[in-house]
Amino acid sequence: MTLRDNLRRGDILEKTDIQKELIKLFGKDALLTEDLDLMYYSYDSSFLTKLQPASPYAVVFPKSTEDLQKLMTFAYKNGINVIPRGAGTGETGGCIAVEGGIVLDLSNWDEIVEIDVSNMQVVVRPGVIHAKLNEELAKYNLFFPPDPGSSLMCTVGGMVANNASGLRAVKYGCTEQYVLGLEVVLPNGDVMITGGMKSKAIKNVSGLNLTKLMVGSEGILGIITRIRLRCFPKPRARGIAMAVFDRLDDAPATVLDVYQAGILPSGIEILDSSAIKAVNDFKPNINLPDAEAILLFEVDGNPPSVEFEGGVIREMAEKRARSVEWATDPKRMAELWEGRSVTAAAAARVRPDGSRIFAGEDISVPLSKVADVLRAIRALGDKYGIKVVNYGHIGDGNVHTAPVINPENPAEVEQVLKLVDEIHLLAIEMEGTTTGEHGVGAVRRRYAPLEHGTALDYMRKTKDAFDPKGIMNPGKLI
Amino acid sequence: MEFKDLPPVKEQLMKCVRCGKCRSVCPVFAEIRNETAAPRGHVFMVQMLRDGKVEPTAKIYDHLGNCLMCETCSVNCPSGIDIHELNAAARSYVYKSNPTMTKEFVFDALWTKPELLKNAVRMMWAAQKTGMQKLARCLGITGLLPGDMPKAEKILSKVPGYTAISKLTEINKAKGEKKYSIGYFLGCATNLLNPNVALATVNVLTHNGCEVTIPADIRCCGLPHIANGKIDTARQLAIHNIKLFNAYNFDYIITDCASCSSALAAKNIEFLLHGTEYAEQGQIFAAKVMDLNHFLIDVVDIHSHVDAKARKIKVTYHDPCHLANAQGIKAAPRDLLRRLPGVELIEMKDANRCCGGSGTYSLTHYDLSMQILDKKMDNAMQTGADLLATCCPSCMMQLRHGINRENWDAEVVHPVELWSKLYGVN
Repeated sequence: MTLRDNLRRGDILEKTDIQKELIKLFGKDALLTEDLDLMYYSYDSSFLTKLQPASPYAVVFPKSTEDLQKLMTFAYKNGINVIPRGAGTGETGGCIAVEGGIVLDLSNWDEIVEIDVSNMQVVVRPGVIHAKLNEELAKYNLFFPPDPGSSLMCTVGGMVANNASGLRAVKYGCTEQYVLGLEVVLPNGDVMITGGMKSKAIKNVSGLNLTKLMVGSEGILGIITRIRLRCFPKPRARGIAMAVFDRLDDAPATVLDVYQAGILPSGIEILDSSAIKAVNDFKPNINLPDAEAILLFEVDGNPPSVEFEGGVIREMAEKRARSVEWATDPKRMAELWEGRSVTAAAAARVRPDGSRIFAGEDISVPLSKVADVLRAIRALGDKYGIKVVNYGHIGDGNVHTAPVINPENPAEVEQVLKLVDEIHLLAIEMEGTTTGEHGVGAVRRRYAPLEHGTALDYMRKTKDAFDPKGIMNPGKLI
Repeated sequence: MEFKDLPPVKEQLMKCVRCGKCRSVCPVFAEIRNETAAPRGHVFMVQMLRDGKVEPTAKIYDHLGNCLMCETCSVNCPSGIDIHELNAAARSYVYKSNPTMTKEFVFDALWTKPELLKNAVRMMWAAQKTGMQKLARCLGITGLLPGDMPKAEKILSKVPGYTAISKLTEINKAKGEKKYSIGYFLGCATNLLNPNVALATVNVLTHNGCEVTIPADIRCCGLPHIANGKIDTARQLAIHNIKLFNAYNFDYIITDCASCSSALAAKNIEFLLHGTEYAEQGQIFAAKVMDLNHFLIDVVDIHSHVDAKARKIKVTYHDPCHLANAQGIKAAPRDLLRRLPGVELIEMKDANRCCGGSGTYSLTHYDLSMQILDKKMDNAMQTGADLLATCCPSCMMQLRHGINRENWDAEVVHPVELWSKLYGVN
């Protein structure tokens, strides 16, 4: 038995003792401790927590660094697990107390501390909603480019902790590219500033890059309490191209042609035949053409460059596509994009007596393997008798797979768990990864040895350096 | 029917993937901001109830009841779940294990019998008129009222001294050629609290070729009962009203109340009567139900004479949830306002965000309701409008309270009242 195991919760304090101590520290009204209330924190959007919800011992709503220091000092001393949580929109069980502990609901700590227009930066607290941040930045012609599908509800803290991205990652990359510095409360209650104590520099190669270490660390190293983000100028124009293909392989080939023609669209999305059917069944008025694949290219920038790039995309796509349409008129763009925007909802309704589930939903593979992977997933769906809807960010090889089952039928659940396991293994085999943007959390942790080999040992050593008692979000990531 | 066999519970519960989009649109969550108030949290708790993981306790009722039933979550749910129906079904299930004397009295004894309800409102009017209400407030007697009622009774200020039904006849002939035979579903709140709206409705309809019949013994549409865990009572009320109206041969059954029209519409009738012997009759009834604004614009195609000298008036419009969310009716009330001479319609920010009234919610959750109202009033006042128009008695009551709280020099109206003035008082 290790020191960490000895210091686990329960050896020192029981759940009710922990609750009493927290009430002493923060007051009864600042926490949730009743069993019924705690059940509401037993889930996120993962299929895992639908099957196995796990309630925490308490939920705390910190709103200051000092609050958190106080909490962590108590938790560290007593070896109590602490699990940071944003809006709970994740699909990996990352914010769930799978091994018990105190959940920190950081979604209420949502101050935009400073919009530094002259340096094109913004400083926020972790609970700021992504869409709200961009609404405020737009007032200064700025934006924070990563664009997750959950923009309306996810928090920037959650995005940083998971290194989230989304539709625009092709051109603008992931959250990590925008984080200049962080304030992190460490497990022992210390406060660490990364990226320089005072630095507002965009370029900064001073010291070990602890900012990058923290981004995507899924709450296993510390709690992100303050975020300095770099912003970009908001593009003035936008255009959408839709290309329809009779052969699946022509879609990734066209994406490559576009890149090789020197064009980097802001987004390239794919709907395969399963997604096309789902969209048309859900909203017949969208009337997507019956095809093996549809690509949607989004281009942004200044009006002349958008027109030019749109022209090149059209030229490239016409080499293989059955039809290509280019639009800059906002109404038509919205119509062309509608098929993509409703895909997730359509997948949810593809079967009246079932639901899509979030499991095996986020693999990412090299562009050259996308068509093979889509075909292989279809074959796996057939093997297990499960309908699967495929869509995603083909520009960076990030495929979203939506298995549709009756989640209350144990036989279907058993089959789908086998299916998603094979999908994860397929991604690794295809020189890809089990997760492109949603994270590892509790659901993909078991693939870590296969994905990372000996590097995983060094990840664990890094974790031990920050969190020797193993109280930060245990059971996740590594 | 068993709770677990109710259609939303049986068919929709499994569809929630807990994506959390409902968190981003729920007006109550925006104030409380913890997961116990999130619509997906309600869905989760319904599942726990169905699966017997929790007992149907009063505390669960409190959580489920902390919802406006504004349906904003339902219309925004990517999985297409009628979250409000799940919540309503669960409230009713939980309430059966936790009945209260007050609710039994209000929703079963009082609110099912129009005459008794009328008398209760008359007593309120008399108390106000004689200064008894003021006296009761001074003496602290209102403090004896249950829950948030001591604070919330202010919302009920200025009860009119007459009912609409006392001023209207059962059959109101069309002025000119009769084109439509209309059954007017005169809701309780319009009849008792906004009688002028009812008079205006009949005036405008009769001016537009409608013979308007108000069947005797119309009972509550049942929406307050659904919101308060009394689905069985709501079902009985629906069956009564269906039988009452189906005995006539109306072209349309019209109501000026957003809540009534949503309660009488096909979806809610299906929710109440699914699997009962009245399901078919219910749909025959519901097929004729139409909101007044929708009828005047899309059936009658109402127009006024052009009056260049008409007094210019700025109007802003608040979407009642039961019209915009429950029925998707957003354009018709606005068109009705725009077609009036002199009206300049100024859109407020978030016009379709709940005002916090929501029937009995403002009476049971006064403080939260006021927080939601404050946001609405900020947006409404920024328009600089002279009139705040809406089509729901509950919204009208709440917005009037908001205007009083803000000391705003504006008036709350139903669009049909402006049209009625145009035709001259009935």
